[in-house]
Amino acid sequence: MSKREEAESEPTDLELIAAWKRGDGRAATRLVGRHSQALARFAASSGERDGIEELVQDTFVRAFASLDSFRNESSLRTWLFTIERRLMLDRRRAERRNRETVPIEDADRVNEYGALDVLIAEEVQERVRRSLDALSPTQREVFTLRVQQGLSYREIAEVVDSTEGAARVHYHNAIRTVKEFLKDE
Amino acid sequence: MNECMEREIQDLLPDVLHGTVGTAERARIETHLAGCRYCRQELDVLRAVEGAAVFTPLIDVAGIVRQIPPYGIVTPGVERPVRSPIVRWLVAAGLALVAIGGGSAVMTHGDGGEQVRLESAGRAHSLALASGLDQLSDGGLVQLMSEMSAFDGLPANDPEPVFADDAPIPTEEDSI
Repeated sequence: MSKREEAESEPTDLELIAAWKRGDGRAATRLVGRHSQALARFAASSGERDGIEELVQDTFVRAFASLDSFRNESSLRTWLFTIERRLMLDRRRAERRNRETVPIEDADRVNEYGALDVLIAEEVQERVRRSLDALSPTQREVFTLRVQQGLSYREIAEVVDSTEGAARVHYHNAIRTVKEFLKDE
Repeated sequence: MNECMEREIQDLLPDVLHGTVGTAERARIETHLAGCRYCRQELDVLRAVEGAAVFTPLIDVAGIVRQIPPYGIVTPGVERPVRSPIVRWLVAAGLALVAIGGGSAVMTHGDGGEQVRLESAGRAHSLALASGLDQLSDGGLVQLMSEMSAFDGLPANDPEPVFADDAPIPTEEDSI
């Protein structure tokens, strides 16, 4: 069964939202189950290392609390990415403030990445990850939303609060950088 | 290898990965890929990126669902405005001022200060009603702060005379 056919046999996000509003708790479970891993992956691809589960949880709690403001102009997943990205920016701002007073120990940093490296088994995957690290934060967001999440440029523009044209330019610059990085390695 | 200038095709390559292009479009892209090594290589890179196992923890769906309030229940904290530490400090300082000032007014004015005591107590009470400070908006806090600054916890019995800057300083002869 193709992805499209599979999607057609499942209730849509809007139908699940309507069911949840009528008091069907299982609808919330299905919505969270449908989108949580994508949100976790987006957070990880955007450079988040700690508290990804907490971030995903905060995204859903915030989203469900303001579902009435979801206008269905974009897909629910795009809207969730937008909320998650704002939370990530808030986190980074707070971390930057904390870093001014409490510097992160180099030893801690080595341990975090060491643990991550153990989980990345294949060499090619590690090279790809390093090539993504070479991108600017915006390029990385746009690139991973396009390649790993399959969002359109219009949806990406909405998530990163930019224009479709700018998203396209970021994508092309990112793919060029990644290709050059992989060629040089 | 020469760079391919077919930007439209390159734009669609991620959609090929995700199977979200239509049948006709897919056939067009496949025809192009058959003769374009540059785009084939780009698609390989995209496949590697798409498949790259960026470590993501397995998310506890049930745990998240438990945190979601039923529809129609407004969760405190979700939309609560973010308040800067300076504002919190100002509020704390203001409340301390009210507590000290109000208490001093009652102690200082004894029986003769009944009117002052009642007035002070009344205003302190209205301020105390704002005990749910976390529920106040920033605008509400600003209003509370201005009320506090206008609040005179210890009014003077004999107000100091006020003179305009250019007015002559009164002498003893003036009072006779």
